[in-house]
Amino acid sequence: MTENGHWPAIFQPLRFRNLEVKNRLFRSSISGRFDNYDGSGTETRIDWDVKFARGGIGAIISSNTPVHPRGLIVPNYAHLDSDDRIPFYVELGRRVRDGGAKYIVQLAFSGRQRDIPSVLYETGLSSTDKADPIHGFPCERMTRAQIDEVVDAFAQAARRAREAELDGIEIHGCNGYLITQFLSPAINDRNDEYGGSLENRARFPLEVVRAMRKEIGDDFHLQFKISAIDDGKALFPWANEGTTVEESIQVCKWLVEAGVDGLHVSAGYVFPHPRNPAGTFPISDVIRSYDTMLSSGKNTFRNYLMFRTPPINKVFAWAWERRARQLGVEGINLELARAVKQVVDVPVLCAGGFQTASVISKAIEDGSVDGVTMGRPLIANPDLPNLFREGRDRAPKPCTYCNKCLINFVESPLGCYEEARYDSREAMVREIVSVYEGAPLPSELE
Amino acid sequence: MSSDVIFQPLRLGSLTLKNRVLRSSLAGRFDNYDGSGTPVRINWDVKFARGGVGAIISSNAPVHRRGRLVPGFALIDRDDRIPFFRELGKRVHEYDCKYIVQLNHAGRHRDIGDLEFPKGLSSTDRPEPIHGFECERMTRPQIEETVDAFAQGARRAREAGLDGVEVAGGNGVLVTQFLSSAINDRDDEYGGSLENRARFALQVVRAIRVQVGRDFYVGFKISVDECMNEVFPWLRRGNTPADSVQICKWLEEAGVDAIHITAGAAFPHPRNPPGTMPLRDLVRTYDTIAASGRYTFRNYVAFRTWPFSSIFRWQWERPVRRVGAEGINLPESRAVKEAVSIPVLCGGGFQTASVVANAITSGACDGVTIARSLLANPNLVELWAQGYDRPPRPCTYVNKCLANFLEHPLACYEESRFDSHDEMMREALRVYETAEGR
Repeated sequence: MTENGHWPAIFQPLRFRNLEVKNRLFRSSISGRFDNYDGSGTETRIDWDVKFARGGIGAIISSNTPVHPRGLIVPNYAHLDSDDRIPFYVELGRRVRDGGAKYIVQLAFSGRQRDIPSVLYETGLSSTDKADPIHGFPCERMTRAQIDEVVDAFAQAARRAREAELDGIEIHGCNGYLITQFLSPAINDRNDEYGGSLENRARFPLEVVRAMRKEIGDDFHLQFKISAIDDGKALFPWANEGTTVEESIQVCKWLVEAGVDGLHVSAGYVFPHPRNPAGTFPISDVIRSYDTMLSSGKNTFRNYLMFRTPPINKVFAWAWERRARQLGVEGINLELARAVKQVVDVPVLCAGGFQTASVISKAIEDGSVDGVTMGRPLIANPDLPNLFREGRDRAPKPCTYCNKCLINFVESPLGCYEEARYDSREAMVREIVSVYEGAPLPSELE
Repeated sequence: MSSDVIFQPLRLGSLTLKNRVLRSSLAGRFDNYDGSGTPVRINWDVKFARGGVGAIISSNAPVHRRGRLVPGFALIDRDDRIPFFRELGKRVHEYDCKYIVQLNHAGRHRDIGDLEFPKGLSSTDRPEPIHGFECERMTRPQIEETVDAFAQGARRAREAGLDGVEVAGGNGVLVTQFLSSAINDRDDEYGGSLENRARFALQVVRAIRVQVGRDFYVGFKISVDECMNEVFPWLRRGNTPADSVQICKWLEEAGVDAIHITAGAAFPHPRNPPGTMPLRDLVRTYDTIAASGRYTFRNYVAFRTWPFSSIFRWQWERPVRRVGAEGINLPESRAVKEAVSIPVLCGGGFQTASVVANAITSGACDGVTIARSLLANPNLVELWAQGYDRPPRPCTYVNKCLANFLEHPLACYEESRFDSHDEMMREALRVYETAEGR
């Protein structure tokens, strides 16, 4: 302990060009299917986000927020696709700030990669017309006009974020969604000005950044989340490697030139990916609740066999967990973040299993990162920042990286489903459904 | 005009409806996972009240958390649920429409595996035949607890200022699991003879009466012909109409105000909702059949693999090919009506005024309950009042509404009924329009 309190590196403010955050801890983009199917937000979503603000986090990065209904990843996430969504975000931002945290909205477009096919649009949009490799959802290759429309949708959503008086924007440029689908040479197979060379593949995200800047001006926080490495061989050695760190570093330089105020480093060109969220592959939860892999897309029978049939599912889980075994889960992306940080002069955030104060503190002090973002460890311990502040190095019941939270969210409320962390199954369910406690009576809404 | 009889008031015990049409129990997964209700649910029910039905029977409302059919439906399992139902009733009453809560316990029957209670309760310990969800045979204390949960649910409905309750006794839910000779394999006083199998249902009715008194509507929904062999040919048929008529007589003695006729001791069932099997929609959305329970591989093959899928569909659609969807349960309804002196309500594809009027005047039933046809045309009753015999764009009985409800908002998904896919989706999402709080 020092005179500045515990973990001074963590609890010093982080200054971006247009935003100051009280500490170095960010909640990463996570949430459950708490909103209405039509993309309108609910009180439950607000309660979900406020919980983390109260836990002492410096800033909250929203769940992925579609800028257009065609860009949703899974139904029941609030959209920012029209101006009538703004009042909800005004309220959400106000309540999170009252809880003590800043609010950064993550603007997203799914492209061909989704968790549930939408009833609104049967095919996704992508750089390519090849189906996504996980479900096998069909997609169409975007035309020039469609690219312009989506760039504009990002820009309009950015304007709405500013009008809602939120604290900043993060562009979801990673993990296999639309922007990755342009950046990645393992996916992008175009031969026009949006495909081929790195410069061409980066054209779409750079257009998004510039179009946003035009709408929001130069004095509003804008950060970009990027998969610094595609790591295409993580699961199958015969797969295409995809984007390398060197290429991503070049993209990051261009992004900063185009007006990005911060970079958020993740990894993997699909989601989920063995590196993100790194950890175990919970087979028994997958077959119970991640049904859509068994029912939608082209690859249902392969998935049925892969997930349900021993020994194929055991082999698959073994292959999946290899990266986590090789690199460890906590700080799995730190080397990538350090590589980015060395070449850009904006703050760099890093995702990947962080939950130990000494690890985070050291990563900041040795110049690998400026701050860390946390998803699963905060689901397990929403008050983790406050625990650090009290001087703890780790929560008494840390996240086990079992990934059951991720696998359950399609069918059940997002929460920690690791029964070993609770006194009983009942206590676990009580904790999970407590997010609905503040849902108002309809009469209170008028 | 021949359809005038539809617009005559209907007396159901102490309750009087303005006409002979009730919205049957149907709803999407509009509520919160913890069982609390939402403004979306209210929008949903108000839409039908506005369309002119005499009463709304709620979506199935579990009387206990363990009795959930599917998450996302409002529960009536605790006193703190009462304010939600009070508000719901108030808003429906604004349209001179009555509100009846359907009290349910799903038993072993589920659409999605339960997070909290992986095993359901049932009369038996054999898994349910569609998904293969596991269950445990109820003990005597569990039976008593569940009877009390029904009674407390009814008390809450009365305290919420609603107009009545309906016991969900058909379609394969817990009460059916006791009534049915195809399911109940007990050898104690709750199994074996018809009298024993009816014991649980009658205890539920009597316990409800103790809580709500004589002057509160208590209905009972029953699958008169269980036809389990129409789901899978290797299953036993289950209760016959003769069995069910006897049960209805006992129910009348126990204090039930009306009988609501349905069919099939499972859900879905070829006779309920009667119509086609929308295979293409099912494989896309009814995932739990392929993911939960014991029979996932059989279901994967049955739904996805030609020719099994075609054979399965052909078999499923047989009863409807024979007798048609509209009024499919009228013969059973008539048989019950001849044996009891309380009103009889009949469900099953109704959407033609002359068919409904004829069913009432010929003495097959006293009123009709409608689900899918109202989903397609929420203003069906108004259309009849304007002189239409059938709506211009009737329900096509394709059952896409049912197939989609687990993953998508409950609505009509028959694109041919709309000018465009966009218009269909706008209509489906309208239920959320006034939902955004603050």
